[in-house]
Amino acid sequence: MTTLSPTADPSTSRNRPRAGAPDRLGVTFPRVVASEWIKFRTVRAAAWTLPITALLMVGMAFLQAWGISQIGAEDFGPVSGASVVTSGWFFAQLAVSVLAILTITGEYSTGMVRSTFAATPRRLPTLWAKALVLVVTVAVTSLVAIALAWVAVQPFASDLGLSLDLGESETLRILLGTPLYLSTIAVFAFAIGTLLRHSAGALAVVLGLLLVIEQVLSVLPLRFFEVISPFLPSTAGTRLIMDDATLEMMDAARDTVSLSPWGGYGVLALWTVVLLAAAAVLVRRRDA
Amino acid sequence: MIEATGLTKRYGSKVAVDHMTFTVAPGKVTGFLGPNGAGKSTTMRMIVGLDRPTSGSVTVNGRRYAEHSAPLHEVGTLLDAKAVHTGRSAYNHLLAQAATHGIGRKRVQEVIEMTGLDAVARKRVGGFSLGMGQRLGIASALLGDPQTLILDEPVNGLDPEGVLWVRNLVQYLARQGRTVFLSSHLMSEMAVTADHIIVVGRGRLIADAPVAEIVARAAGTTVRVRSPQAGALEELVRGPEITVTSAEPGLIEITGSTAPAIGEAAAGAGIVLHELTPLHGSLEDAYMQLTADSVEYHSSDVGQPAAPATAPSLTTPGAPASATEGAVR
Repeated sequence: MTTLSPTADPSTSRNRPRAGAPDRLGVTFPRVVASEWIKFRTVRAAAWTLPITALLMVGMAFLQAWGISQIGAEDFGPVSGASVVTSGWFFAQLAVSVLAILTITGEYSTGMVRSTFAATPRRLPTLWAKALVLVVTVAVTSLVAIALAWVAVQPFASDLGLSLDLGESETLRILLGTPLYLSTIAVFAFAIGTLLRHSAGALAVVLGLLLVIEQVLSVLPLRFFEVISPFLPSTAGTRLIMDDATLEMMDAARDTVSLSPWGGYGVLALWTVVLLAAAAVLVRRRDA
Repeated sequence: MIEATGLTKRYGSKVAVDHMTFTVAPGKVTGFLGPNGAGKSTTMRMIVGLDRPTSGSVTVNGRRYAEHSAPLHEVGTLLDAKAVHTGRSAYNHLLAQAATHGIGRKRVQEVIEMTGLDAVARKRVGGFSLGMGQRLGIASALLGDPQTLILDEPVNGLDPEGVLWVRNLVQYLARQGRTVFLSSHLMSEMAVTADHIIVVGRGRLIADAPVAEIVARAAGTTVRVRSPQAGALEELVRGPEITVTSAEPGLIEITGSTAPAIGEAAAGAGIVLHELTPLHGSLEDAYMQLTADSVEYHSSDVGQPAAPATAPSLTTPGAPASATEGAVR
């Protein structure tokens, strides 16, 4: 290892203005976002999970289209092009949840959080910046994935009569709603990661909720669960990305509240805001 | 300038830091010395706002740390060599830290060169040795070219060359008029690095004085004498103020007298001396005395019960040296 000559001047040769001088803005929100973006792209979690998210969405769309073509479009009934290209949402939400959780619990498990909060002792700008980076990267990734998925299903497009009419409100709702849903789920998972500060714990809660709890509660034939099930985060939020036919079918099968697509998303957004607010309070209060 | 007033941190019923009031002045290296668990790290974390004080307050350059608009330009901190994401390279870690304050890549490169990390800067921190981690922590502390540096155990894990480098660096920074506050449990290192020392034990401030003064408070000077006529010499020098102990035949340690007095007495009586060595009270002795009753984790000597902690407190510096024999030497 090379040595520092003890006489090396840490202040360098530049004429150093003291803190508070006009050219030293200090910590600003755009700078915190820049820092979080550097952090985000310089660990493996993001480098792997985002491409995996895209791959899952493209792959699922292809499999869905291929599967329907095997059954025969006539037997399957009407096929919504928007639903086919977004059919990977279920697995994509798991990937983005893992990513979202690791962006915060990775800091706690490695001790990085002490460096982070030493640089931004007000703490909350860091929390907002992390959430912002997540929302933007997840939204962009899923939009790109949807576009690629549309390309991937082209071999079956004419057979199945797949089309994407961007002038149609249902199509637009699903195509834009999927990135919005995935971004919101990411922030939801991020808030839980921030609350628990522990990778394994947060992963268990979020994946348990998405994979098990919501699924089980939605089919339990107990009145209590029938009533609360529509208001669970993912159950409510995914109404934004279901096509009208699916929504009708689901509502007909159940005798409970039927949330509108945006009403359902609003419930997920509310969960997310409440959890993020709780996380913010604790981040300010807790020792790092 | 760091000013703590009545700083207290309680974890449940355990008091980690107990009403500490002290000032760390610019222009010198201030050592923060104490046994493990004395509250050094907790105090340092409270200074930079990572831990919230239960009561009391601490300011850096006149303000609470979190109130500074550019904290990294005010205070550089090495709190824990492991406060880095193990999956990120050293360069990217520094780049991300720098970005929060709009500090450019040029400065990042500078601190990397300054701390000798060039060769490993692009490697993931997870593979770093403790010494490299310390260098990265110091690089991070220097990023904002701060007026105040807080370094928690900076020489921990460094090789001798690295220890020397840290010593020269902190002394150099202090000479520039900066405030340097570094903790250690290595008394010998503090003795040569620090100008001023704050000693803590069990969360309490025990001493806050220049190094020389702390050493001077150590037990009275002891003289080691090797002589074939040790027994005769012992008879000769014995007095009410003087204690003589013998570690092995022909070797005695006389406390309460001076080397010239013993040498002259021996010459007068025709006693042959093979060795006459004044054993100055070292910082280590002073430290052991000061913290003897505040050590959190006592280790007892093998084969005998732990020596009763009867070291004199600072308020009674004239306590008989014999009482401190367990702690001194």
